[in-house]
Amino acid sequence: MLWLWILVGLLVLLVLLGALGYNRLVRLRNEADTGWSNIDVQLQRRGDLIPNLVEAVRGYAAHERRVFEEVTNARAALQRAGTPGQAADANEVLTSAIGRLFAVAEAYPELKASENFLRLQDDLTDTEDKISAARRYYNSTVMHYNTAIQSLPWVFVAKALGFRAKEFFSAEGDTAPPEVSFTPAT
Amino acid sequence: MTLQQQIRRNRLRSTIVVFGFALLLGVVAGLIGVALDLRLGLVALLGAGLYAIFAIISSRSMVARMTRAQQLGPDELRPLRRLVENVSIAAGLPATPDVRLVDDAAPNAFAAGVRPRTSYIGVTTGLLRVMPKRELEAVLGHEISHIRNRDTYLMTMATVFAGVIALIADIGFRMLLFGGGRSRRGGALVALLAVVGLVLAPYAALLLRMSLSRRREFLADAGSAELLNDPEAMGLALRRLQLDTTTIAYADTSVAHLWVESPTSRVESERRGVLALSSWFDTHPPLEQRIAALEESGGFRLPDRLSADAPFSVELGLA
Repeated sequence: MLWLWILVGLLVLLVLLGALGYNRLVRLRNEADTGWSNIDVQLQRRGDLIPNLVEAVRGYAAHERRVFEEVTNARAALQRAGTPGQAADANEVLTSAIGRLFAVAEAYPELKASENFLRLQDDLTDTEDKISAARRYYNSTVMHYNTAIQSLPWVFVAKALGFRAKEFFSAEGDTAPPEVSFTPAT
Repeated sequence: MTLQQQIRRNRLRSTIVVFGFALLLGVVAGLIGVALDLRLGLVALLGAGLYAIFAIISSRSMVARMTRAQQLGPDELRPLRRLVENVSIAAGLPATPDVRLVDDAAPNAFAAGVRPRTSYIGVTTGLLRVMPKRELEAVLGHEISHIRNRDTYLMTMATVFAGVIALIADIGFRMLLFGGGRSRRGGALVALLAVVGLVLAPYAALLLRMSLSRRREFLADAGSAELLNDPEAMGLALRRLQLDTTTIAYADTSVAHLWVESPTSRVESERRGVLALSSWFDTHPPLEQRIAALEESGGFRLPDRLSADAPFSVELGLA
């Protein structure tokens, strides 16, 4: 009789541990999803600023058609991007296109001094800062989530339970964020 | 040890400490009950509970009053707000904390609030006047880490509990001394135990509160380093605070543990010479130790000289 009780006890313990571990994976996945939506909000905001920026520059430099096209295409590519990796690549392309647009604007002092343009420039810088902040958060949540589903014992069942590894938001050539190790001095 | 493990361990400790406080409260109430009157003990416990709840609810405005932090208008200091926004996005906070300004020449900052959504960060005008953007960001990262790690929540609880225990112990002590023979039914030994318990309890509470906040300072430093991916910035900011000798003009000791650097540090270091144990009562670990911890985890050495970058107040257009 005794071994039966021990067996039952072990089974209950196993189920309990399994439930706790499963909940942890769900929590980590949710955190990563929230992290991604934070990035998405900022990318959206950046995308919304671009038509205004193009219009502002076009008012002064209508003949620079190639640059406008480049920026518009890059923006469309970003909005089409399906995965975090693609979005990061498209975002990179957009950044350099915007850089060229600003280089064009350099030649028009009146444009550069206009309040509308200055505000757009300020807002764009702000969104870029926010994208990189949101990216730091998202990438660290992805790292924790991926580590969890790739370590024992979840590595065997994670896929069957629908936990798939997530992609970092980083353009090709970027490196994953380093883990900060920390020991208190006391 | 990774930061995540440290945060988890710290959260566990927090839970233990909260339960410890509850236990201590029970012991003090019990002592009053045994030494004086059982009903009085129950009343004390009930009163303390209600007082604690009231204090927790009003803590937000209480801290603002004690630190003299002013709310900002909607368009004031926008670059500072943006900086706070960016750091809280990096921390994944559900909402950006409010910023409040303390008009004081000493560079310092604090975080307060029970829940992340209602938390706010207070910075002194002195901080804006000495810190360049990179270091200011690190200090904000430190405060936001306190909010993210639920330190502000725990510290508020700890402060309130410590205050409550001290209050009822004080009342009990007075009653024991001046209460007359009517209520002393437990005999001399119980009375003695009660006195010892009543005298020690507030100190136990205070000690717990202090050690709690000291450990959390290291964690918030590391948190800031991780958020900004720049451990050196936090180290530089601490060095700058170390070299600055201004202290907060209006330093209320009951909120000392909230600030990034102890607002009364000069007083404390003078006392250290007299009483060897006094470092146990400090709210903050020495800045040197905190810098050393950052250097070790980040694998860098701070340069000897501070950067000559313009302070953030220039960008803010502060006079």
